[in-house]
Amino acid sequence: MAPLLQLSGVSKRYGGVQANAGIDLSVDAGSIHAILGENGAGKSTLMKLIYGVERPDEGQVLWQGQAVTLSSPSDARRLGIGMVFQHFSLFETLSVVQNMALIVPGSKGELAARIRDLGAAFGLSVDPQAMVHALSVGERQRVEIIRCLLLNPALLILDEPTSVLPPQSVALLFDTLRALRAKGMAILFISHKLEEIRELCDTATILRQGRVTARLDPRQGTAHDLATLMIGRPMPPPVHPTPHGLGEERLALSNLTFANDDPFGVSLTDVSLSVRGGEILGIAGISGNGQQELAALISGEIALKSGGKAVMLMGQPVGDLGAAARRQRGLAFVPEDRLGRGAVPDMSLADNALLTAHSRGLVKNGFINRKLERAFTADCIARFDVRTSGPQAEAGSLSGGNLQKFIMGREMMLEPSVLLVAQPTWGVDIGAAADIRQRLVAMRNAGAAIVVISEEIDELFEICDRLQVLHKGRLSPSVEVAATSVAKIGTYMIGAVA
Amino acid sequence: MKITFERRATLSRPVLFAAPLIALGLAMLTSLILFAALGKPAGQALYSLLLEPFVGWYNISEVLLKMGPLMLIAQGLAIGFRANVFNIGAEGQLIIGALFASALPVYFPEGASPLMLPAMIALGALGGATWAAIAAGLRVRFNANEILVTLMLTLIATQVLNYLLLGPWKDPNGFNFPQSVIFPDAALLPILLSGTRVNISVLAALLISALAYVMMRYRFSGYQLLVGGLAPRSARYAGFTEARAVWVSLLLGGLMAGLAGACEVAGPLGQLQRSVSTGYGYSAIIVAYLGGLNPLGIVVSAFLMAALFIGGDNAMVSADLPVAAVFVFQGLLLVFYLGSLTFIRHRVILNWAGRA
Amino acid sequence: MSLNRRSFLKSTLAASTALALPVPAFADDVLNVALIVPSPAADVGWSHTLELGTKALEAKYGDKVKVTLLENIAEGPDADRIMNKTAADGTTFLILGSFGYMEGGLKLAKSRPDMSILHASGYKTADNFSPFGARYYQGTYLMGMAAAALTKSKKLGCVGAFAIPELITSINAFTLGAQSVDPAIEVSVVWVNSWFDPASEQQAAKALISQGVDVIFSNAQDTPSVIQTAEEAGVYAFNLNSSMKTYAPTKYLGVVGTDWAPYFLQSVEAHLAGTFAGASAWLSMAEKCVFVADWNPDIPADIVAKITETEAAIESGAFSPFTGPITNQDGAEQVAAGVTLGDDMILSMDWHVKGVTTPLPK
Repeated sequence: MAPLLQLSGVSKRYGGVQANAGIDLSVDAGSIHAILGENGAGKSTLMKLIYGVERPDEGQVLWQGQAVTLSSPSDARRLGIGMVFQHFSLFETLSVVQNMALIVPGSKGELAARIRDLGAAFGLSVDPQAMVHALSVGERQRVEIIRCLLLNPALLILDEPTSVLPPQSVALLFDTLRALRAKGMAILFISHKLEEIRELCDTATILRQGRVTARLDPRQGTAHDLATLMIGRPMPPPVHPTPHGLGEERLALSNLTFANDDPFGVSLTDVSLSVRGGEILGIAGISGNGQQELAALISGEIALKSGGKAVMLMGQPVGDLGAAARRQRGLAFVPEDRLGRGAVPDMSLADNALLTAHSRGLVKNGFINRKLERAFTADCIARFDVRTSGPQAEAGSLSGGNLQKFIMGREMMLEPSVLLVAQPTWGVDIGAAADIRQRLVAMRNAGAAIVVISEEIDELFEICDRLQVLHKGRLSPSVEVAATSVAKIGTYMIGAVA
Repeated sequence: MKITFERRATLSRPVLFAAPLIALGLAMLTSLILFAALGKPAGQALYSLLLEPFVGWYNISEVLLKMGPLMLIAQGLAIGFRANVFNIGAEGQLIIGALFASALPVYFPEGASPLMLPAMIALGALGGATWAAIAAGLRVRFNANEILVTLMLTLIATQVLNYLLLGPWKDPNGFNFPQSVIFPDAALLPILLSGTRVNISVLAALLISALAYVMMRYRFSGYQLLVGGLAPRSARYAGFTEARAVWVSLLLGGLMAGLAGACEVAGPLGQLQRSVSTGYGYSAIIVAYLGGLNPLGIVVSAFLMAALFIGGDNAMVSADLPVAAVFVFQGLLLVFYLGSLTFIRHRVILNWAGRA
Repeated sequence: MSLNRRSFLKSTLAASTALALPVPAFADDVLNVALIVPSPAADVGWSHTLELGTKALEAKYGDKVKVTLLENIAEGPDADRIMNKTAADGTTFLILGSFGYMEGGLKLAKSRPDMSILHASGYKTADNFSPFGARYYQGTYLMGMAAAALTKSKKLGCVGAFAIPELITSINAFTLGAQSVDPAIEVSVVWVNSWFDPASEQQAAKALISQGVDVIFSNAQDTPSVIQTAEEAGVYAFNLNSSMKTYAPTKYLGVVGTDWAPYFLQSVEAHLAGTFAGASAWLSMAEKCVFVADWNPDIPADIVAKITETEAAIESGAFSPFTGPITNQDGAEQVAAGVTLGDDMILSMDWHVKGVTTPLPK
């Protein structure tokens, strides 16, 4: 029997970049097929070709043995291909169910019911009436997954689907995917979580620099072997921080309560935390439990109308100050949204450096010093291994991981007393993620106070000294990482502990 | 059939220059047919519309005279537009600027002080900025939409002008006609080219264009506005406050419109009249966008728009075109320009088979 | 290939040369006349009557005169440029149809002594620059007589453009004419401060009607808005310049019309003869400029007879509406009994007669 989907000799070139070169791929019905590769290895391009977003320059696509031309995603959907993107394709001004109704036939009432059913079945709970703009990144991804499942596809493409799920729900999702496989569905699964791939997938195709470098059964061999094949060199070892002497308290929230005006936002209740120089505090929890609000309240993007003492920075009350004033007092921040928040997509990297690094002498008498700006940017690109054509490249042209390295680098080069990082490795490939974690630990060792807000529980366990869990706007007490377990934190995350 | 527009990744410079030429060609062709159908001399009409504004110093000086206020206002508006602050009421700010500037010659009709003119210019700028500040304050304090507020303020400005011209500021020897006294020489801008009406305000407009370029290209304040326009959440993240962007945008827009108003009464008008502006505040919006919101582009687009206006008037005089036909031609030119720009920036993909 | 290219260039050049050729349509023996008006020259109203006046020039001189109509020209720098342009294009006889063209027109007159310029409703004169106007008040006095015969409420109304002397005299004469029939008549005035603003005019007319006014004077409005509103409300109305009877078939009181042809013809003749001399021309019934017409059949016969009699007296110069005794709004005597106001007093009139209830805007 012919494979469900077969690609032979498929190539795609963008300007000077050979994104895919002579890719052969064969996906059988009733299998889960992993696509592995670093950022820029060509995974996203390959998925766009399969989903009809782009057309290959060369090569052939066969669907159930028949040559097909996919000139648009609607062609692909008609054949039975569904895809969950890493970058979302939702209309922010519409509600969840309205977004679904754009693609999925059926009345809104039926759709809402099916959304609730699927959400219950896969632990993907989402309010069908919620407006998308009010959803967190994690919730938006859930909406994307549900939207695909609603169409009963023959081939489902999932681009890093587990990165936003709590451990308990990952297990549930895997059960579902296995059930779908048993029903004969083919699944293309993109992930950098090698353990997951080993647990779930039947076959893995590894890409490096646009070419297929290996095809193998991931259940044979260790995660370390897979990583080595993927990045073309041995994996950097994990970095666990070693205990050392702590400095003074640098950031403290005391009984911070924030009533959110936005009906779809989260209000924070009685949140307290304290971070001292030389330690990393992790804030665990599933997106949509107040992470966005907490980050904005610390960064100053939301300033309190009164009661500045609820937020203390370097011993000074700053709760009623704006973001610029808090930055002046030594705070730096890497937000979870890179495009449109951490960086301006239509501006060059150099101009994006200016966004927060203007205080580093890049502006004199109100004039921008372009020479210093370029030098700072080039320095950041070099030191943080940002792969780009140079300081003049537009931020929007960088891959997610590279842009994250750039933003992280920019904020770190400000030598902040307190660094706040939200979702540091979300959508970032394994090599870059390891690098980012190493740098965070190095900063901690150099005496900085760091707060990491992340959904990735493994990551938090790897780099943090202490953890607190955010659930429905409340923050759990702090626990030493050494004295707790993933399972224990997981129960906090789903609210099983008061 | 399915038609999709796909943005082209790169554009070569020659192709970009093609857009205005294609637009011109299409507009000429359409109007030739139109004018011929009207029984008007089409060749003469097109000559008057397109070429005559550039023939001879006198015509060019008239284009420069018209260009000054358009350019000045458009520069101010473009700064705001790039920061997503939409000041649609430059017309009102111009009127208030003209009013403020006129106060001096109205109360000192025999004034001869050399300080009169600079004071009028300063008052004009102050007046325009003050009028825009109302919109800025309402936006920052109550989140009132600045598009509506500036537009409504224009209507109020017109009524204030009417009130003054029909009442306290009317020329006592003017037989109740709604206009002020004729300004003394000390209240008039020096003429740039003798024998023409163009005054030094066009130089000021060019200087301000250069300053706008410097601000948007080299000043941190300009950069902050750009960030606010391109990615408002990035601006908030960096701590550039929206309130500041609103204030800067509206104050600069109002200031330049007010300046333009002062230069009109101290220039070609020589007195305060009800027709102090013939829609400069609105035309400047088109000029700003045609210039790509770029200070240098605006210099070019203001010059071309001014020439187009002058050409239209010429065609009425010399080719006996009805005024409506002139408007049609000017409209065609803009439509074809924007249309060709769309086709040049995007690739059109026809999908005959597609049904979706 | 290169040949093709060259011939292409050649034909393009030829085309552009053809385009670049200005077409000076005037020859030495053709008089170029231009008329500049501020509103679109519609089928009725001020601009229309001026256009009719120039038609008489074409009718008389045929090919020897070429008239260019420049309509919808805003007062201010644009108008100045356009009059300069038309002068440069060969116009030597220019008619400026709005007060606001005065300063620009004067400047042009000074720089071009070969030109003759007529300027509507201004007050400045130069050697080759003549302000002209019509004695509308002669006609509005007669309208006042008719209105007084038809009103039941004894309240008349006026929607006026601007409170300038020309319009004030029209209202005062209207009031005096009405009072000559019925001394108890009162007149209220609404100024809309525009020559052309249909919406405001309609509102103003409605406001007057709601106050009980049953005859309305549309004073120098260039739209039929007031006339239409009056017809709908069932009250009488009249206007100036050209008849708007078609807009009010039953309630049209009549028109105080203007015919500019005699004046234009006479001025052009003087221009051609080289005898044009700038002078203020205030044209009257005697000069066949001002006339009344389209009388409503509802006017009683005895009043019609009286009107005809008065009309003849005005035309012959035997009677002027502004003959004392006239008291002003404050009740003070403004014109002594037996005294007739001189033109200079009428031209600068800034007071209302007793019976006009609305104070004059200051």
